[in-house]
Amino acid sequence: MSKYAPKLSELKKEFDEKPSVLKGDYSAQEWWDRPVEFRDGNWCFPGKQEVLADLGFANPRKWAATDEDWQLPADWQKTISDGLQSRLKKYRSLKLFLDACVRCGACADKCHFFLGTGDPKNMPVLRAELLRSVYRNDFPLVEKILKGFSGSRKLTKAVIKEWHMYFNQCTECRRCSVFCPFGIDTAEITMLVRELLNLIGVNNNWILAPVSNCNRTGNHLGIEPHTFVQNIMSLAEDIEDHTGVNVDPTFNRKGAEVLFITPSGDVFGDPGVYTMMGYLLLFKHIGLDYTISTYASEGGNFGMFTSNDMMKKLNAKMYHEAKRLGVKWILGGECGHMWRVVHQYMNTMNGPADFLEVPVSPITGTRFSNAAATKMVHIAEFTADLIHHKKLKLDPKRNDHLRTTFHDSCNVARGMGMFEEPRSILRNVCNSFHEMPEDTIREKTFCCGSGSGLNAEEYMDIRMRGGFPRANAVKQVKDRHKVNSLVTICAIDRASLPPLMNYWNPGVSVYGLHELVGNALVMQGEKKRTTDLRENPMAGFEDGGDDDE
Amino acid sequence: MGTQYVMKRGWTEFLEANKKAMLEQWLDCALALFPEKMGYSTPIAMVFSGALEKILSSLGKSENDCKEALDDVTRILAVQNFPPSKALSIFLEPKLILRDIMMKTTVADTLMQEAFNSRLDALTLEAFDSYMRHREKIYQLKVEEGSRRMYMALRRAEA
Repeated sequence: MSKYAPKLSELKKEFDEKPSVLKGDYSAQEWWDRPVEFRDGNWCFPGKQEVLADLGFANPRKWAATDEDWQLPADWQKTISDGLQSRLKKYRSLKLFLDACVRCGACADKCHFFLGTGDPKNMPVLRAELLRSVYRNDFPLVEKILKGFSGSRKLTKAVIKEWHMYFNQCTECRRCSVFCPFGIDTAEITMLVRELLNLIGVNNNWILAPVSNCNRTGNHLGIEPHTFVQNIMSLAEDIEDHTGVNVDPTFNRKGAEVLFITPSGDVFGDPGVYTMMGYLLLFKHIGLDYTISTYASEGGNFGMFTSNDMMKKLNAKMYHEAKRLGVKWILGGECGHMWRVVHQYMNTMNGPADFLEVPVSPITGTRFSNAAATKMVHIAEFTADLIHHKKLKLDPKRNDHLRTTFHDSCNVARGMGMFEEPRSILRNVCNSFHEMPEDTIREKTFCCGSGSGLNAEEYMDIRMRGGFPRANAVKQVKDRHKVNSLVTICAIDRASLPPLMNYWNPGVSVYGLHELVGNALVMQGEKKRTTDLRENPMAGFEDGGDDDE
Repeated sequence: MGTQYVMKRGWTEFLEANKKAMLEQWLDCALALFPEKMGYSTPIAMVFSGALEKILSSLGKSENDCKEALDDVTRILAVQNFPPSKALSIFLEPKLILRDIMMKTTVADTLMQEAFNSRLDALTLEAFDSYMRHREKIYQLKVEEGSRRMYMALRRAEA
């Protein structure tokens, strides 16, 4: 035996001293016997009755996760069991993911929720086991016979509570999948369990209210077309005040070359609106023939967090509107999960979009063959291509008041493999850019902790725990390089990272990438700039400063 | 005789000799607060490890030396799923650790031990203040987030 192997006495000592689900107060119990406890800060408000009624979703009622009785429908067990069975037939991937896992544990310490809470049920392997244990009780014949050996358990109300607790402590970020030797997509397991829970009315209002709004008016906040237009025109007026340039956006214009769709957070929320101003400046700068739709007025798709059918329905408006307006292709704004839906599901869900053309940049002539199927291009690809062909007049000095780092949004990084384009843009629009540690960026990026519809205010404690690994990485560049700006390309990041930074790293502000592009663009006919789009003074451009390119 | 004076007398030498052992035990107690003991290479363990060392080193010095380190620890504790009483118990642990070490070694400086304990009591109360500041911050974040989300609506309402 190796001289380096631990001695038995050492192992025993470690086992005795280290708390574990396997012993201590739980010595006579299985891991699943540990009860879940809902208390303020660790559960989201459930879907409102009227919201569920609007959507035709199951079991509308007044309830809370802290209630003893969740008022499940009488036949809830059959609903879940039948629901699982039908989905196992429909999605081969699900069956594969449930059968293939060998519990190697490679994923265990990769989850930001496990790293932030230390709760073993937040290890992706164990979280998935919450479903697998039920699956094994009811499905594969061999394991039915071997009951008791296979780690199977019956579906009880306590299991439903456990699912609700832990499948809402997964942001579907897929960091664990990067490390899984089988490539098991834990996000799809979470998506599926949430879909099953929705069948019996176990849900989250912060997800369902935007779904209902989107279903009715086309965007998450339920903004109606006239208000949507007013908001963007109000931002256009701000741009004119700051820069002297009239950006003149158009809405629902038939025959435009490009339809632009972005998350509605960019139209109504702070700091998203500054990113919107960046887009508008960019399009004016290059003279893009584009239009914005008040019907497809949301890039995000919270349907993804409820059910496959709802995701498909909400996504359909993108192609509907592209067809109605007769555009050639679609340009998409900075968003996270929107791009997982667009890149991985849209073509098979609602395509083929054979009424559109393979996107070609009208400015550079670049053909985006990577988007040949979906006909939809990510704005970071589009802008990086413009910069590469030197089609933008940029003054990066205008962002000298910002010392930046870049947060890879999970779905753009791991969902569509985009790492270099946003970095290329960032290097061209600002002079100070420092990367966070290597194991926290690109495909190993840490989630903001609030993705997949968990951005609810009442969930702040859990969000702060889950976001800690990301915040900790930002702290390292803040301490080392005096970074004060966290740049990102996701609307949920723009909403959720400000409180995360305010809590863990006060003094670090959150920016959209195209806000920095907007700051740096030297527009034709502009007036002298002294402030950025937020009206913060730009370093070196104070009155009397040098503003010449 | 002031606490600081007693702490200075002999403390530096004692800490020099026993810091590693004290820190290891203290860190283990802190990491064991979590449902599954946190691994040493996790971000939380890294922050704890650095901060607890600063706190321990500062015990013989002026009282404000470790404010930032204290904040780093309580910022993590304030959003965890265990009650404040359990969270702040980690600041009482060093008393037992010190006692054990003194029992094992020949050093038995009662005055120093008393001074150390009273400094730790003060530190625990400071930690309580810091913990509460972080809880207040959480509520403040909820309010601010609501306003940011409705930014354009509020702007129009104010215009």
